[in-house]
Amino acid sequence: MEDIAEAAIERSQSLGAEFTDLRIESVTGVNIVVMDGKTRTVTSRVEKGCGIRSFVGGGWGFAVCNGLKTSDILRTAEISVKLAKVSREKATLGFEIASAPSVQSKSEYPCKIAPSTISTEDKLSFVLNLDKSMEVHDARIVSRSSRYNDFEGERIVASSFGSQVRTKETWTLAACSAWGKSGDVVQRGHEAVGNIGGFELASSEAAVKCGETAAAMAVRLLDSKPVPAGKFTCVLDNKMTGLMAHEAFGHACEADAILSGSSVLEGLEGERVANEGVTLIDDPTVPDTFGYFPFDWEGVKSVKHVLIDKGVLSEFLHNIETSSRMNVPPNGAARSDSYSSPPIIRMSNTYIEPGDVKKDELIADLREGFLIKGAQYGYVEPAKGQFMFKCDEAYEIKNGDVGQRYRDAILTGVILDILKDVTGIADDFELVDPGYCGKSGQDARTTDGGPHIRVDNVVVGGLT
Amino acid sequence: MEDHTSVSITWSLEDSHRRYHVTKLSEFAEDIVGLVGKMGGTVCDVLVVDSRVASAEVEKSSIKQAEHVADPGVAIRVFHNGSSGFVYCTSHEIGDLQKAAELAVSQARAGTADEDFKGLPEPTRHVVIEDIYDSRLAALEPETAVDMLIALVNEASDDERITSVNAGLTASVEEVALANSNGIVDCQKITYFDVFAEAVARSGDSMFSGLDYASSRRMDVNSPVIVGGSAKQHAIDGLSHAKMQTGDYPVVLDPLAAGYILASALGGGVNAENIQRKRSYLVDKLGTEIGSEILSVYDDPTLQWGLGSTSFDGEGVAARKKTVVERGELKTYLFDSYTAGKDSVENTGNSSRGGGTWSYTDPPGISFSNMVVERGDASLEEMIEECGRGVYLRITFDSPNLATGEFSGLMMEGYTIENGETGPSIRQSTMGINLLDMFSRIDIAGSKSRNAFGVETPALRISHARIGGSE
Repeated sequence: MEDIAEAAIERSQSLGAEFTDLRIESVTGVNIVVMDGKTRTVTSRVEKGCGIRSFVGGGWGFAVCNGLKTSDILRTAEISVKLAKVSREKATLGFEIASAPSVQSKSEYPCKIAPSTISTEDKLSFVLNLDKSMEVHDARIVSRSSRYNDFEGERIVASSFGSQVRTKETWTLAACSAWGKSGDVVQRGHEAVGNIGGFELASSEAAVKCGETAAAMAVRLLDSKPVPAGKFTCVLDNKMTGLMAHEAFGHACEADAILSGSSVLEGLEGERVANEGVTLIDDPTVPDTFGYFPFDWEGVKSVKHVLIDKGVLSEFLHNIETSSRMNVPPNGAARSDSYSSPPIIRMSNTYIEPGDVKKDELIADLREGFLIKGAQYGYVEPAKGQFMFKCDEAYEIKNGDVGQRYRDAILTGVILDILKDVTGIADDFELVDPGYCGKSGQDARTTDGGPHIRVDNVVVGGLT
Repeated sequence: MEDHTSVSITWSLEDSHRRYHVTKLSEFAEDIVGLVGKMGGTVCDVLVVDSRVASAEVEKSSIKQAEHVADPGVAIRVFHNGSSGFVYCTSHEIGDLQKAAELAVSQARAGTADEDFKGLPEPTRHVVIEDIYDSRLAALEPETAVDMLIALVNEASDDERITSVNAGLTASVEEVALANSNGIVDCQKITYFDVFAEAVARSGDSMFSGLDYASSRRMDVNSPVIVGGSAKQHAIDGLSHAKMQTGDYPVVLDPLAAGYILASALGGGVNAENIQRKRSYLVDKLGTEIGSEILSVYDDPTLQWGLGSTSFDGEGVAARKKTVVERGELKTYLFDSYTAGKDSVENTGNSSRGGGTWSYTDPPGISFSNMVVERGDASLEEMIEECGRGVYLRITFDSPNLATGEFSGLMMEGYTIENGETGPSIRQSTMGINLLDMFSRIDIAGSKSRNAFGVETPALRISHARIGGSE
């Protein structure tokens, strides 16, 4: 495949491209869904193709073909140059891509048991066991879904810098949802476990207990109440701290948002944007995490990003284009969800570093507020400066005691205010929550985490 | 079997070098059904897709990128004792298809038996829905698309407070063919056109962004300018802002907010799989009042140029319009072949392969084709005036908890209503309401509809909902 990559880049350069990169991929994967004791679907993917990006003076062209025929890939290179020229012709903003050293690498994600060596029956048996563990957990569990995904891909990233980075990528994920019913009340609990690597995930303690954890949540929530609305001090658990770091701040640090004029953090480098105890990190190099990658999808070696250093905005996440335009070194944050999408700037493992107080101390001196646990989803518009994130469970705190259980609380805030309102950071760090982040129609593997933290002035949305 | 691989050699979505027509694609799908059958997959369906997607992007008011994606693919689904195996491949090559067919058969055999599966649909009537294919999109050149985006930027930038415009335009042409082992064979050509804009405004320390978009199966050459103008106006409208006190207020849902909430609230709520598995708040609600008399909702795959319009569903069942909610009464759930067989009821033909564009990468699910909410006769101004003091919610991206039927979401873009007129934008506020309460409290429907996230809906007024504020 390296020869085809080289030929495609040569073709695009000969047609006038100032910079070209491409991703050639060959991917297989399995997705098994079991519902209520029966297989719902057993799905396999077989994908091969190539996406080529050419650059001319401020304009990009991106073209994709399925399959790996040399003639098709060369024609795709030609289309990408033609499109780059159309873009350049009409662009009002010109810029250059700064040259970078060539990178040569062949790497494999750590993997003990390649999913392709495991039979469908054995994978299915794992998922059926998850289903069973929910069924037997409690008689009030009335419906169940369990899912297993694996992915094995070979990817070549090549560029006109002379780089060729070949990566063998393997990851696996298991997820469970359980619905509990008591009288007319129905509640859902869920849990997901994901990591780079292979089928060894299935024998990990977290994966084996995934169903039980989901079922326990569904049962717990049966006596919960809708949360009251209003402005409160909240103690966030490890998952919610991670989700807040991701939504409230991480997205606004993506340099494409800065250059497109749609982030409220534009021009604030070096400014205080958080309580001085807050250090916020995005780090794709953390081993054994769902957000891990050694090289990004432009062939740049990944590094740890310190987005906020002791309360001060210190770094943005870059791809080759934004680093060229902002005159900083590239820091390896470009990712594509497949060869058919152009690389864009993404987070990886996003977290707030631990502090030095005990979790219980954050709660003990709180007169009134909520303990917020478990992350469902969140979203942000960096140009409006607003974000939200939704929890699984909220617990009333009164005079330091944790009491009534509530469900489905959403928390909202303003990017430039929320981290200044952090009033306590615990020492109980966990990077625990694997999931997918969606942006521009592409999904990226991520993990969020951090310690318990306490935040003032959070608007909680509820029904009462 | 003929090798159907082909790659477009220009950006244009129309390619005179293509080696087959859409009718040939259906023969190809039939051939693959035969291939799967020979390998033991005697109950199966096959979807063949050939799609070409062209798009262009604007960043900070300048053309940034043009794209062309050629994406042929095949999905094979096989049932064995009710257990399904599904395989897709990004290829029309015979060698790849043989391997895929073999894999699908082995996967179906690996699964557990499911007696609730009663069979795939049988061939019945044949329906052809017009107005799902716009030949102008197939002939669209990149220069034309880029010029449309430049017109959008010019309109959206036409105010000194606008500091950036980000926008995109997507055009796709798809040929899809579907065949199953019962003899269903059908094919169609569909197109899709989408344009979106984000305008960013700044004034002093205040910053706000306005969003809008338009999508249809037809190219509307005016929509880029309309979308650009709307994004600009909302960016400017949002610059002045206010906080709300927590309390109960009347709420006017813009079609964008109504569409986003209803897409999941009703779309997920009436999905027969969610009903059968007791995961929906609408379990046991068939034939009962779930909303006010103002609320009537249809599933209409025949809607002219509708984003989800189609001649047949994701399992080949002929398209027909059906009433889902009639003057507040829930009339039907939405079924595919599996759920209809399980309940021994008529299949409503709501198997979906993706809506606006068809995808071969996922097994079919249950969905509205086009959710259509009946219009009323009030103008938006009249609805706002009726509120006196309240809230106008334009954008939220939150979904309800389908099990409990409770919704709580961020008002990403909302405005105060004072003395019957909209005021400043509201920051850091939420709306919470039980969905059945929301439906029953709809007391005015607007006279104009638009497509919002696959839902054709007017603005809707809710007499009161809980607003969580930051004041």
